[in-house]
Amino acid sequence: MDGLRQAYGDFEAVRGISFTVRPGELFALLGTNGAGKTTTMDVLEGLRPARQGDVRVLGLDPHRQRRRLRPRVGVMLQEGGFVGDLTVAETVRVWGGLSADVGRPPDGDVLETVGLAGKARTRVRQLSGGQKRRLDLALAVLSRPELLFLDEPTTGMDPEARRDTWDVIKGLRAAGTTVLLTTHYLEEAERLADHLAIMHEGTVHVRGTVDEVVAEAGDRIVFRLPRLPRGGPPSLLDTTAEIARSGDGAAVTYTLTGTSPAGRAHAALRPLLAWADEHRLTLHGLEIRKGTLEDVFLRVVGDAR
Amino acid sequence: MSTSTGEGERGPMTTSTIGHDGEGSPMTTSTVGTRAHGSAMLTDVRHSVRLARLELTVLGRNQTALFTVLFLPLLFGWMFSALAGEAVIAGLPAEVFVLTGLPGLLPLFAVFVNLVNTFTARREELVLRRLRGGQVSAVGILGGAALGGLAVQLVQTGLVLAWLRAVDGPVPANIPLLLVAAVLGAAVFTLLAAACSGLTRTTEHAQVTVLPVLFVVMIGAPLFTPLSAQPPQLAVPAEFVPATPIVEITRTAILGADFIGGAGGKLTVAGQWLAALPSLGVLAAWLLIAAIAAKVLFRWDPKRG
Repeated sequence: MDGLRQAYGDFEAVRGISFTVRPGELFALLGTNGAGKTTTMDVLEGLRPARQGDVRVLGLDPHRQRRRLRPRVGVMLQEGGFVGDLTVAETVRVWGGLSADVGRPPDGDVLETVGLAGKARTRVRQLSGGQKRRLDLALAVLSRPELLFLDEPTTGMDPEARRDTWDVIKGLRAAGTTVLLTTHYLEEAERLADHLAIMHEGTVHVRGTVDEVVAEAGDRIVFRLPRLPRGGPPSLLDTTAEIARSGDGAAVTYTLTGTSPAGRAHAALRPLLAWADEHRLTLHGLEIRKGTLEDVFLRVVGDAR
Repeated sequence: MSTSTGEGERGPMTTSTIGHDGEGSPMTTSTVGTRAHGSAMLTDVRHSVRLARLELTVLGRNQTALFTVLFLPLLFGWMFSALAGEAVIAGLPAEVFVLTGLPGLLPLFAVFVNLVNTFTARREELVLRRLRGGQVSAVGILGGAALGGLAVQLVQTGLVLAWLRAVDGPVPANIPLLLVAAVLGAAVFTLLAAACSGLTRTTEHAQVTVLPVLFVVMIGAPLFTPLSAQPPQLAVPAEFVPATPIVEITRTAILGADFIGGAGGKLTVAGQWLAALPSLGVLAAWLLIAAIAAKVLFRWDPKRG
């Protein structure tokens, strides 16, 4: 996808985004609500043509070459899309039939896979939100697609169902399925994704592997001092400390970015401890914390505001 | 960038984004995708049959809809013939006159009212969205709905014909002509239903939005009086109500006599087709108008916000 732009009337929902998903990997598109994730998915699923830019899915134009593309693709919608009066088994049978008609018959007991086998005879209308998400996943993976679109697959699920769903997704990915996933659960992206991109207000702000993106957040060194010596704490790896004074001393925070993420906390600690020894200080509550995806995400969202 | 290759052709593809290694190495389309592309029409037909069966299953489970769609028109037929009693219309017993025209009104219920409900329900349930994002084309979806409606309409027509026999009425003289009128009628009212559903927010709302069409057609269609017996200021506009040509062709096809603007003169089979031509023309015009209306008004997605 290169330079995709998409607008509804005067509102430009997607403002020129580009990313590439490699075969067999799991790519997560993160973003706040209204970031343009679903619009982007709509275009990739061929539900609407790209207003501007070049979009290729498995080498095909998702809108104009839908017929050739669709048999190879599975889609999990954000919500709904079921006939309430059909039973779970009937729903799977109809959708399996529609797939079989394009040469992709269903493979294996998909209700077993998603843990809905016990609900086969239940009307879809009577399923809980989480169960509907499982049925949605079942339909998406029914005929072993080469490429799977998952739009917020675990929204509304309890923690156990979420874990089960992650296992299903991991299993598919291990079997070679390429997965594009949108989510606003950072943990989900952190656990599943090979690559991810963070979208906000229609543009991609950060992208890379999970480690690369997290590295950008910077490592934090935090401690308290009962009193600040003259000259204050030193700068570490060219990073100056942020100091918050309070009645009983000062809280000191370093956010280490730049250099190689692997050794930077280690490298910063040595001069810090040397400085503390020199001033006969104890660093109270010393804490070294690796940056998290959440730090990056909040920064992206905060910067834009 | 990569240009679309010809119909069914297996072409080289470049610069893909998803599920491609990004180095521009050609990826072969699976034979499955290609085959589906080559026999798109056959796939549409198979999908339509599957979706029609789905709709009939769901209709069977919905008692309100079943009553409106299946029994209401038959109730009308019974009411009108009972009201007419021993009267004679255009040289025929009133009951025979009404029943020979009744199949022409069936598309109004079995197709129009039925499908405004179905299209609206499926859209609001996001089933249309799921179907479109899946394997089924727009033609397959509309075709499935039309086929389901047509099946109900044909079963009802069979019931009316049996009823006619039971009251010593005629055996249909021209079954092919009867079928042509039935299929064209179903097509026109499918498209009108698609258009009308675009103006309908919920299935409850559908009970209101179908009324204008229902009134105009019920009043305009020559169910109990031949148009030839009406003053021209009524007969001429009535001629252009979409159900009028269907009622007239149907009556002519069953009785083998001219009831298309005529007063019941006997016709040969060739004469019946010839007499039906202007009515078929009106239907063709309605087909075009309904198609344009559907194109403008039909919606795949619920309105948001």
